[in-house]
Amino acid sequence: MSAPAATDPVEVTDIDLVKRSQAGDTRAFDALVTKYRGRIYAMTYHLIQNETEAWDLAQEAFIKAWRALPGFKLDASFYTWLYRIAHNVTYDWLRKKRIQGDGEFDDERTEHRAAAGAETTPKGDAAPDAALRNAELGARIQAAIAKLSAEHRQVIVLREVEGLAYEEIAALVPCSLGTVMSRLFYARKKLQEQLKDVYETTL
Amino acid sequence: MKPPSENHDLTRWLDGVMSDAERSAFEQHLAEDPALSREANALKSLRADLRTHLPAEMNVPYGDFFNSQIQVRLAQEESRRVSDSAHSPVAKLLHWLKKPWLALAGTAAATAVLTVALLRTPDADSYSRILSSYTPDIRVEARSFHDDAAQATVLVLDGLDEVPAERKVSGINVHRSENEPEIAATALFDAGGKRLLTISRDAVGNPQFTVTPPRG
Amino acid sequence: MRAFALLLSLTLCASALAQEAAVPPTEALPTMKPATEGQVWGALIFATNDAAQLTGSKEKEPDHLQGLDARLAKVFPFKHFEILGQHQQDIFRQYESWVVPSRDLFLKIDSKGPADKGGVNIHLQVWREQQVLVKSDAILRPGSPLFIGGPKWRNGRLIFVLSLDERKAR
Repeated sequence: MSAPAATDPVEVTDIDLVKRSQAGDTRAFDALVTKYRGRIYAMTYHLIQNETEAWDLAQEAFIKAWRALPGFKLDASFYTWLYRIAHNVTYDWLRKKRIQGDGEFDDERTEHRAAAGAETTPKGDAAPDAALRNAELGARIQAAIAKLSAEHRQVIVLREVEGLAYEEIAALVPCSLGTVMSRLFYARKKLQEQLKDVYETTL
Repeated sequence: MKPPSENHDLTRWLDGVMSDAERSAFEQHLAEDPALSREANALKSLRADLRTHLPAEMNVPYGDFFNSQIQVRLAQEESRRVSDSAHSPVAKLLHWLKKPWLALAGTAAATAVLTVALLRTPDADSYSRILSSYTPDIRVEARSFHDDAAQATVLVLDGLDEVPAERKVSGINVHRSENEPEIAATALFDAGGKRLLTISRDAVGNPQFTVTPPRG
Repeated sequence: MRAFALLLSLTLCASALAQEAAVPPTEALPTMKPATEGQVWGALIFATNDAAQLTGSKEKEPDHLQGLDARLAKVFPFKHFEILGQHQQDIFRQYESWVVPSRDLFLKIDSKGPADKGGVNIHLQVWREQQVLVKSDAILRPGSPLFIGGPKWRNGRLIFVLSLDERKAR
């Protein structure tokens, strides 16, 4: 599922909800939470691969957004502004966790719990039909993403999930364009390595 | 080993950011290099699968509870804001830190953000370090980190108002300064000894720049 | 006469207030240089992708920071980095120190004493006109500059670089 375009008609009604939230209307803010919680949770989850923490961090993102609302200029997209807050909160958390000794820069295993609702089939079983194979691939991809370092997970999520352009990624991290491309390349190769057997059988 | 630029080309081709001319040239190159072509196709499949299996939107577990928790915290914020005006920033900070989830995440409000000083790796001790930051404007967020490649410690300020384009931002080259306590000012001089600026403070303590020294 | 007396007392009040705001003078004789914790180099950099926006400043970084623009490029995604102004400044032990490479973005530093590995503990404030943008407690160490990402300007960004000089043998 790709991210909706900025010119979607639904964006227009955000302005009304945001204005009311800025005036202190918590019910208007509640409507914004309902609207965007799925996307924010997806981003935090993909970045940290931990359901409970992702839930907490998604909460934190909305609380920070509420506090920062007075400074939000209505000419920009609310979702863009919101995901930037969510990204910073999540990435700061990830960095602190890593600093506290959770593994090296390259693909040490970080905390990981299976994706909610994903089937996990025991090793060695055949995947007889497409649906089961699909679920297995999903779980395998999540597991492979979990093995990436924070920096590499970050660029994969920003590019493949959020659909950001290289320049937007560079401005958000922040880093140079060259670093964005290098990290994307390395992350994809690493994922490919993790999923080697999956692709070999489907060729 | 492939040159790094070829990896960048592959990445850019995959992400569809090449111009038509670049893309034709690259695809020509792929046609002539079967190994590279295999690699490119494998990465293409991977990307397609990533997009399928990394949904941009996920069901939030206990969605209603998610929302109601936020509402509870918003209400707490409002009541705390009203009653907390007498509390010092330090007391506020200690109160925040007692909450485990907040100890992990940063805050954008006008409270100090405390980062635990790193005491572990010997390498970290030779860097410059930002220990804590406070932004008086809640719209502004300060984040800091060390960048190994740049060999620098970075403090990023997000959410600042842009400087208007018509403003002519310019600099000076200050070689030395002299404190002049009798007029509570500091004079800045260039390498040739010419006085460039004098800094003094106004009644509320804000810095004031003058080009000639103020009269005491 | 009254007006003059009023004016005189106002002037005295103003200078008394200014004195209040000033750091108390040291016991040292006025001709002796106040104690310092080291020297810093501070610069205001304009980062942009558009060469046409460059201001034509002729400032250059000191020798020990050769290759500064390459290092900045690793953090901030821009092609061109122009030094708009620079300031070499002592960090005073007992006074506040101002680092003013430009009136548009400048720093105030208060020393909190030496740190290990040749560093200095400081309290740092980044100022813009009459506003403090951020107040930080930091440890500055030689060879490890601080890059401060500031406000956007003309499609680029203003960046403040602060570097502690290696302590020369006394």
